[in-house]
Amino acid sequence: MGRTHPASAVLLIDQKMIWNAVPGLLDGAGVTLGLVVGSVGVGMLLGAPIGVGHVYGSRAVRTGLWLFDRVFRGFPAIVLLFLAFFGAGQLLSVRISPFLAVILALGLRSAAYQGQIFRGALEMVERGQLEAARALGLSLPGTVRCVLLPQAARFALPALSNEYSVVLKDTALAFTVGVVDLMSRAKFLAMRSREVLVAYLLVAGVYFVLTYAGIALFRIVERAIAVPGLGSRRVRRSR
Amino acid sequence: MIGADLLEAVQKLYDGLLVTLRLIAVSAPAGLALGVLVGLTETYGGRLLRGLAIGYQITFRGVPLVVQLFILYYGLPRLGITMSPFAAAIVGFTLCSGAYHAEYVRSAVLSVPDGQTEAGRAVGMTLGQAVRHIVLPQVLRRALPGCGNEIVYLIKYSSLAYLVTLVDLTGQGRLLAYASFRFLETFFVVGLIYLTLVALASSLLRAVERRLRIPT
Repeated sequence: MGRTHPASAVLLIDQKMIWNAVPGLLDGAGVTLGLVVGSVGVGMLLGAPIGVGHVYGSRAVRTGLWLFDRVFRGFPAIVLLFLAFFGAGQLLSVRISPFLAVILALGLRSAAYQGQIFRGALEMVERGQLEAARALGLSLPGTVRCVLLPQAARFALPALSNEYSVVLKDTALAFTVGVVDLMSRAKFLAMRSREVLVAYLLVAGVYFVLTYAGIALFRIVERAIAVPGLGSRRVRRSR
Repeated sequence: MIGADLLEAVQKLYDGLLVTLRLIAVSAPAGLALGVLVGLTETYGGRLLRGLAIGYQITFRGVPLVVQLFILYYGLPRLGITMSPFAAAIVGFTLCSGAYHAEYVRSAVLSVPDGQTEAGRAVGMTLGQAVRHIVLPQVLRRALPGCGNEIVYLIKYSSLAYLVTLVDLTGQGRLLAYASFRFLETFFVVGLIYLTLVALASSLLRAVERRLRIPT
């Protein structure tokens, strides 16, 4: 076909090929969302106790968490992904599925970030409340669970929304270990149709929609569980 | 990996590190400059420019960096625009981090009271002068923690350069890992190098922050 003129390149797009790709892209989007829910879920399950450990843990616990934090926030996402996928196989001599490897790597990474978010949120609750609850006879774990966490979770929500959008964009790296997610569907489409630009622009559009739809959803939840008068306080997560 | 092999591995990782450092050295300042420009446009620009700036910011923050890099390197040749892998990575990193910097700059500008600009205008400064001499020095200080964080992110995300065929630190690590089948050791060392870069950059940025702080 040779080099095409920009204007004709737009006209020569194989429209049928693109339409045929839509079901595949939707499948891929489903896998991508699965990765995001899994990773953010793991991050949340581990992040909340990690945050408590950062603030109320013993010296040994805090040192351990500091080390964990350094590694998982200091290594690039893609290096963690390779470590989980290839490294786990080498260490345990079992091959874990690519899907699980991504959730393991991005989930632990998210746990490190969410640990910091929860740490910030816990520190926003006044110390007096902790002392008051203890004075009333509540145990320390009871105080954390019934007094601190319900408030901290609300402070943390805006940062968690950010966390969702970060993790979503990081899952686009899952194709490097062989997960057939949205991004690898785009690569297939680009290869088969040779409409490389259109394929990647299309998938960019899908990621764009997923990012902002998710953020909007978080905002709805935020408004639904807000405590009147406590609305303006929030922990910020940069990205 | 003993003796000569180890030495060769170190040499290769060092070569990769140099590529990574070159990528960061160009795209970190370029991204910051773009972010400051866009952030200022979002607050002071006319309707059209402001719309463009906001559109840019929203678009580049809503799409994964990998996708942006793929569009630049694999997609744009379709329109006759061809870039070397290094150029594509630089352009991608700059455009992406600029969008994130812009948000910090924008909110820093909004945190400077309007009265200060008006006072500047009242003593005869043009708007440009007031922004340059009164607003900007404060904005840069207030945006620094966020922007510094963004530079740290850029260091880590520079690892995506290998996806556009550049043999950077991650790229060299991959080659070594596949050649030796020592994935765990290789990627752990690669990760530690990134971690060191991140730690160095953070402490440097904190020193700058302390240095520029307005004494109270």
